[in-house]
Amino acid sequence: MEFGEESSPALAFEKNAFELTVEDVYDISYVIGRDLLKISSTGEEVSDLQFRIVRVLEMFETLVNKYNLSLEEMKMERDNLRSELDRIMKDGSSSGQSIQTGGPNQLVVDLTDPNRPRFTMQELKEVLQERNQLKAQLMVAQEELQLYKSGILPQAEPALVEVDLTPPAAIENILLQYENSQGSNHTVIRGSPVRMP
Amino acid sequence: MAKKTYDLLFKLLLIGDSGVGKTCVLFRFSDDAFNTTFISTIGIDFKIKTVELQGKKIKLQIWDTAGQERFHTITTSYYRGAMGIMLVYDITNAKSFENISKWLRNIDEHANEDVERMLLGNKCDMEDKRVVLKTKGEQIAREHGIRFFETSAKANINIEKAFLTLAEDILKKTPVKEPNSENVDISSGGGVTSWKSKCCS
Repeated sequence: MEFGEESSPALAFEKNAFELTVEDVYDISYVIGRDLLKISSTGEEVSDLQFRIVRVLEMFETLVNKYNLSLEEMKMERDNLRSELDRIMKDGSSSGQSIQTGGPNQLVVDLTDPNRPRFTMQELKEVLQERNQLKAQLMVAQEELQLYKSGILPQAEPALVEVDLTPPAAIENILLQYENSQGSNHTVIRGSPVRMP
Repeated sequence: MAKKTYDLLFKLLLIGDSGVGKTCVLFRFSDDAFNTTFISTIGIDFKIKTVELQGKKIKLQIWDTAGQERFHTITTSYYRGAMGIMLVYDITNAKSFENISKWLRNIDEHANEDVERMLLGNKCDMEDKRVVLKTKGEQIAREHGIRFFETSAKANINIEKAFLTLAEDILKKTPVKEPNSENVDISSGGGVTSWKSKCCS
């Protein structure tokens, strides 16, 4: 049987067009070439057809080649992008859970982090000032209490109570007074001046 | 005689790198205690201690600053009110010593011109971990014309001496004012000057 002999190159005719390789194109050329040889023994009018077929096969070869090369390039590009993505994902998860840099002088804050930065410097400043004021008032109250306890202050006459609330702006005034020793812009809680009977 | 709580109020400021022991130095002076657990100061804090110098009761209001750079804007706003500034470094930490010039620059930029300055080399009990020679500290203090002590808040070395010396230096510069009327305001401002009530001798 002639069929078994040529089964291998002839299989190329049955392949999906998108799966063709240049080798398949050569197989196809081989089969067509052999068929042409059989016909050509009958007369010479096939020689024109033979050249045209060769030309079509050459074009076919170029197209298949080009298609396969492009396909290969795209696969490589896809693989590169995939590994790049993996690297970025890995970097992102390992470089701290909540804070990443989002560019020069920028922070990326994880909104799910309960310890994320939330307050401004001004807010902190105000809270600290209030804390320090309250602390100063407590000290004054303690001092006064001590005086009452030790019997130095008579119950009837309230003590002269001083509260130094000095936030930074007020400190400046104190310094001025330190030099001029007069006047005051400070918050003063005062009772009547302390006097011994 | 009236009961007066103090004659003068001096405002002091502690500055220096994070972890050199500013809070511990202050805690030793104000409460005569020491705590080994390190809690970073948030922004600014203060303590009060009244001392007696040359027969005068002097109330020291001592501001303790955070050494961390992130609190810089808060802490520098307190420089201007200070009459005395203690610059603290850690003798076991070379970086904290190198940064002295940076802190001195901060003083120049933000503090009052005639502020009394002092340099402290803290943790001098840790001789085995020392990396900054005492002579180095003395030298840089001499170059800038300021006093210098090596201190230990833990072993209570030179702490009181440093504060009292600084207070004394400020006292020397303080103009002597006669007490006037009973209405003298003893707010922080008035308290800086002598305050006595009318019936005082």
